[in-house]
This record gives sequence, C-alpha cells and structure tokens, in this order.
Amino acid sequence: MTGSAGHNVPAIKVKKKGFFRTLWGQKQLMLMSVPMLLYVFLFNYYPMWGWIASFEDYKPKDGPLGSKWVGLQHFEWLFGRSEFLEGIRNTLAMSLINLVFGTLASILLAILLNEVRSKLFKRTVQTVTYLPHFLSMVIVVGMAQNIFASTGPVNQLIKALGGQEIFWLGEEKLFWWLVGVINIWKEVGWNSIIYISTMTSIDPTLYEAASIDGAGRFQRIMNVTLPGIKSTFMVLLIMNIGHLMEAGFEIQYLMGNSQVEHYSRTIDVFVLEYGISNNNFGRATAAGMFKSIVAIILLFSANWVAKKLDEDTLI
Amino acid sequence: MRKLLAGILAILMVLSLCSFAAAEEPIVVTVFRGDPGDQPTSDNRIYKLIEETFGIKFEIEFLAGDLDETLGTKIAGEDYPDLFDGGNSAEKLINAGALIDLMPYISEEKTPNLYAHIQPILTQILNEDGQLFIIPNYGRNYNAQVQNYCNGPAFFIQKQVLAWDNYPQIKTLDQYFDLLERYIAANPTNADGVPYTGFAILCEGWRHFCLINPVQHLMGQPNEGEVYINRETYEVETFIDKDYARPYYAKLNEMFNKGLISRDTFVMNYDQYIAAISSGTVLGMFDQTWDFGSATAALETAGMYENTYIALPLVYDEHYGFGVISEQYLNGAVPNKDRGFGISVNCEYPERMVALFEALLSDEWQKILQWGIEGEDYYVEGGRMLMTSEQYHNRQDATWKRANTAVTIWESAPKKQGTMDDGNVWDPSLQPENYFALMSEYDQAFLAAYGYKVPADFFNAPCEIAPWGEAWQIDKAPIQDDYDDFLAIQDEWLPKIIMAADEDEFDELWAEFVELITPSAEIYADFMQVEVLKLVEQTLN
Repeated sequence: MTGSAGHNVPAIKVKKKGFFRTLWGQKQLMLMSVPMLLYVFLFNYYPMWGWIASFEDYKPKDGPLGSKWVGLQHFEWLFGRSEFLEGIRNTLAMSLINLVFGTLASILLAILLNEVRSKLFKRTVQTVTYLPHFLSMVIVVGMAQNIFASTGPVNQLIKALGGQEIFWLGEEKLFWWLVGVINIWKEVGWNSIIYISTMTSIDPTLYEAASIDGAGRFQRIMNVTLPGIKSTFMVLLIMNIGHLMEAGFEIQYLMGNSQVEHYSRTIDVFVLEYGISNNNFGRATAAGMFKSIVAIILLFSANWVAKKLDEDTLI
Repeated sequence: MRKLLAGILAILMVLSLCSFAAAEEPIVVTVFRGDPGDQPTSDNRIYKLIEETFGIKFEIEFLAGDLDETLGTKIAGEDYPDLFDGGNSAEKLINAGALIDLMPYISEEKTPNLYAHIQPILTQILNEDGQLFIIPNYGRNYNAQVQNYCNGPAFFIQKQVLAWDNYPQIKTLDQYFDLLERYIAANPTNADGVPYTGFAILCEGWRHFCLINPVQHLMGQPNEGEVYINRETYEVETFIDKDYARPYYAKLNEMFNKGLISRDTFVMNYDQYIAAISSGTVLGMFDQTWDFGSATAALETAGMYENTYIALPLVYDEHYGFGVISEQYLNGAVPNKDRGFGISVNCEYPERMVALFEALLSDEWQKILQWGIEGEDYYVEGGRMLMTSEQYHNRQDATWKRANTAVTIWESAPKKQGTMDDGNVWDPSLQPENYFALMSEYDQAFLAAYGYKVPADFFNAPCEIAPWGEAWQIDKAPIQDDYDDFLAIQDEWLPKIIMAADEDEFDELWAEFVELITPSAEIYADFMQVEVLKLVEQTLN
C-alpha cells in the first residue's frame, strides 16, 4: 500500500515524524495501555527476578541478594533424581492424553450437537455437559474416589458382569487414563462451546451447495464442517501445546497416593513435595524455571511448525 | 487552692488513664494453628473475657491441607502470624528464622510463672545455643502426673468386639487378629447391613506412623519414631528393615488375604479415614488416641459407645522367637519440645504476647481455661472441683466448646498439667471424681467387666523417660533428603508387601524392600545415633 501510494504521488512530501511526536500523537492510546503494561511487568516480568533463587541456597530471611550462591547445584540434583524425571514424563503424558482425547471428544460433541436440529435438546445437552466445568476439582476427585473405590459402582458393575475387581485408585498404570477420563468428563462440554460457535458461523449456503451436489450428512461433515473449524482448531492446538507443561496440579495432588506416586507426580506436585515442603525454595524455583523454559520452547516450535504448514499462526 | 488541687488531680487522672490505655491498647493478634480446627463463635465467653482483661482479640487461621506445604508457603512469603504454631513441623519455622528467641523475655522478676514453668525442664527444651523458641504446649507436669487413659500409640479395638468374646485379655498380636477374624466371621455386617472393616491402616502424609511405627511397640519399646534404641547401650538402629519387623507385615499380609484389610485403606486420605471410623464400621487399627479424637467424639455424641475403642498394648507372641516381651507403650512425661506457640519475627508486640502467656499461666487463668468459670462450668464442694453430668459433657461437645472455651489458644499455649497444689487435677477430665462418675454407663460396665477402674489399667505403668527424651522429637533437617527417601520407600513398599498375593511374593517383595531402603536407613540411623548420644550427654551432665 505504501509502495504504490508513494509511487503515484511523488509530489507530496511525506514528513517523517519523530518517535516522540508519534508518541505524543497517540497519547490517549499510550495512556490506555499503561495499566496493561504495568500489569504485565508487575506480575509476569518482575517475578522473574526471583529465578535468581534457583542458583542459590535461598533463605527467606537473607533474601535473594543475601543468600548463598550455589551455581547449578539444584539443577544437578533435579536431573539426578528419578522422581523429577518421572515428573516430566508424567506431566507430558497426562497433558498429551488430555490434549488428544480432550480435543477429539469436544470436536465430536460439537459435531453431534451441530447436527441436532431440535433447539431445546441441543441447549439441554450443551448445558448439562458444560456444568461439570464449574465444579471444584476437590468435589470431582471426591466423587471419582467413591465411584472407583473397590466397593464402588464401577467395580460392582464389573463384578456383576463376572469380571475381577480392579484397584482403580492404587494401580499406577491406570492413573494417567483415570485422570484423562475425569478431565474429559469435566471439560468436554466447556471446550466444545468454541467449536460449536465456529460451526454456527459457517456459511449455510456451503451446506446447501454440498447437498445439491449430492453430499450426504457424513460427507457434509467431512467436507464442510471440519474444514470450517480448521483454523480455530490450529489456534487452539498451538495454545494448548504452549500449556503442555501444565498437566494440572489439583487432580494429581488430590488423587495421588503412595501407591501410584511414580505415575501421578507432575512437576508441580514435585515442586511442592520436594521443594516448598522442605523449605528448599532454590530447588523449587529451579524446577519451576525449567518448566517455564520448556513451555516457551514448545510454544515457539509449535508456532514454527504451523507457519511451515502455512496454517494460521498465533504469533 | 482546692481548684488547683482538683485541676492537678484531673490532669493526673487523665494522664494515668492515658498510660493505662496505652498499655492495654486493644490489639488484634493473628494466630496460626498447624492442625485443622473449629473457629470459635464471635460471642465466645472466654475470648470475650481475655479481650476485656488484656485488650487482645485473636484472629485464628487453622490448617487446611498439608502442613509442610502450608508452612513452606508461609515461609517463602514471610507471611507469619503473630502467634505461630507450626504443629508437627515447627522445626521448619525455627530453622527458617521465623520465630523469636523467648529467653530474653523470661526472668524470675518479670515473668515468675513462666520462669517457674520452664526451669525444671530447661535442659530438655533449650537448643545448643541456649535459645528457646517455643514453650512446650504439653508435658510439663506439676506435682503428680495423672494418667487415666493412653493418649499415645496403641492397637485399638472396638469395645463391642471384646464384649462379644466375653471380655478376654488381649495381649499379643496373634490374639488380637484372631479375635478380629472370629468376630468378623460371626458378624460380617453391622445392624444396618454395612460390612465391617477388620483393620484399617492410615497411610496418608505425616500420619503414616499408623503404617510404619508399630514394630517398635511390638518389641516392647515406647514411641521413639522410626528407630529402636537400646536403653542400656544407647545403640540406635532403624527397625523397619530388620528381621523383627517382618512378622508384623507378614501378619498384615495374611489378614489382607483373608479379607480383613481392604485395599482402599492404602489410598485413603485422613478425612476418609475419620469418616470410616466415625461410621462405627472399623473394628480395629493401630493409631494414636489423639489422632482420631474427632471420630471418637462423633461416636460418643451419636451414643454409639460400643463402637468406640479401647487401647491395647500388644507385643509379639513368644513363638515369633523374640523371647517374652513385656509391653512398654506408656512413657514418662516428656516436654513436647518445639511444639506449641512461638512468637513470630513479624509480631509487633512480643512483650505483650509474653505477658499474656505469663498471665494465662497463673492458677486463676489456668482454672478458667481448663475448668471454666466457677458456678457456671463447675462447682466446688469441700475443696474438690466437681462438675455435674451436664457440665462435664458440655466440655466434650464440639459445638459447645466453640462458644464457651478458648480451647484453640489453650492447646498451643504453655499450660499446667498434673495436679494443683490443693490436690485437684488440672485437666477436668482426669479429675478422679469426674472421670469415674461421669463416664458413660456403657464404659462403666465395660471396665467393670474387666475389673478395671480406668482404661490405662490395660497398660503397664509409664516407664521413666529416657535421657534423650523421645527420639522422634529430633530435628532431621540436616539429612532431610535421605530421611524423606527413607519414609517414601516405606510408604510405597509396605502397602505393596501387605497386598502380596502369597508367601512367595511376600518374600520377594520384602527382600527387595530391605535392599532398597538400606542406604537411606543407614544414613538416618547414623545421624540419629550421633544426635541421641549428644542428648544423653547433655542430660546426664
């Protein structure tokens, strides 16, 4: 735009404005952005100063400047502990399970609801499925512990069908999947809202055209609905990949016990148990810092891959 | 002249009022308690009295969630209340420099009550630098110690089980589980059809002592935590990896396979445990009396006395090959070192806090805190302090306590225990007249069937306290990581061992467990050996 304009009207001299002049010219906008900048600085950048504790034997009474410098000792300790490495594995595994199956489930629910023509039924199902989102994790885990107890309904059903009782809450191999199931139950309705709203914004003439061309319901879904939500899907995927290191804390913390801890302990739980509980804040900070750096790397790589695939990107 | 005098007097009066007001300027004191509890009501009479007398109002925060994590968060943010009770992990507060040293505030002239209170136990409670951060909340006895029941560790069994078997004497591990087995075979469910659990094991967090501590008692030792200490040679060893620990877990394994122990017990949290006990369907467990006090209170309030528990001091049977073991569950009074209120470095009025403890430690206030107000909460007859049945039972009632006692402050503050100079007992529930007369009829009949007067009659008399006190009080901060490993391995492996499908699997798992735990167990035992010898030397000199 600037190129062609400059080419066609050479007579007008474009006066180059100074930085401060521009700044002054946009003073209302600048003023409006100040609270946001302050917020980001205070809550996102300023706390990073605390990362210094990860290189120190941090003692609250001595503060970040007075504590003893220990270099990379905390990081060496962390990567020498199987519990921390397990924590990374568990975090990524539960995140991935959640991401893959959670996304699939919410898209599926959205498509099913989108195909339903009865408004009342659609609304009811939508409300019922997203209500669990508002339940506290404490309540959800309490319910799950009752449902999956050895005398709980699930085991009663298995036994009634002639199967063997399963120790759901104490079998470490089952833990990731149990968390996945609970998370999907809790969030599927909520996460499908954004897909449903994207689907309603798809031009109805596309569906009509597809029908005229002889496309059945399934073909319409494959060729109209799914391409219609592709960009939303990509943006959400990139955002979620940035959150891969956040497998959650509450559910693992509440459902974990000594029998499943090798599979239940996420990095966040590790930080609490091995750092904060022991007054070893340096170690806690080191683990948290590692997590943040990995999350940033993941976010940028996902964005890069998306760019290469010429899809919508976030950054 | 008269006018002048009146003027001067008036000025003096105003001045004295001012100075009086300054000394008693009303303040709000923030309090943290390292355990869950009930907030007092806003019109609580005892707190009102404290507020009127000392101008001090309390704002109390109770523990919600995990203690270590909560303390860690508070320390990280230096978010300290004025009065800080760090519960079972108070060492963390001391190590983090969160509390002030109380010794400079305590002297014979200024604080005679506190001075007299700590003088006899000073060697046991001062640290190596001669500092005192917390005055023990329990274990400082005046005159004779009264022990009517076991408040500490024991094997517990529902009274109805003993009654069903015609009140047998249960002294050994085998007798105990044999009785539970027979009872549950005859009575698989309660009257409502809810199945009984034979034996529950709480494994959650720091309360895992229910899982990892019993062996020392079966071997005839009072509670030292996770070590076995030879009383003559002061040799320290961990017991969980020794051959004498194995038979206990083998017994539990047998009971698990017989269905007396449910899998669920290993994934249960404390709330679920208390709920299970309160429902009256758990027949037995190893625990400490105070640890399930809320469940006992719930059972008593519901009138389910037959479902309340009696503590039994079990030992290994002779056939296990450790000789005839004499039980020693009860230990002499030991000051509860580093437990109770400390004054935090953030407190603006340390002097007033010390003065408050000093005043509350007076006989007059101790009576108010422990017995209540004369005429309202108790009466005096012939020099004896007595309670009517209603007054006595009020004091056990959680709802009544919220409005009529300062129990939260009292529990953490230094207090008088044992007997008063006039022979009355400081704790109203231990006063003989109250204890016998006001016990439930069920309990009276139960004890009468055994020919006992108090539940403590099931136990041998307390032994003399060892020169190192009780070894579980030793701060493990210098070897924290190894100690945590030592505990984590037990938390993970003991349940697996108990759930082993058969003897072969048990043997295999046990061997693996011993091999895994040995490195951290050795570090821990070596550390404890040094610390115990240090304490012995300190005490004997």
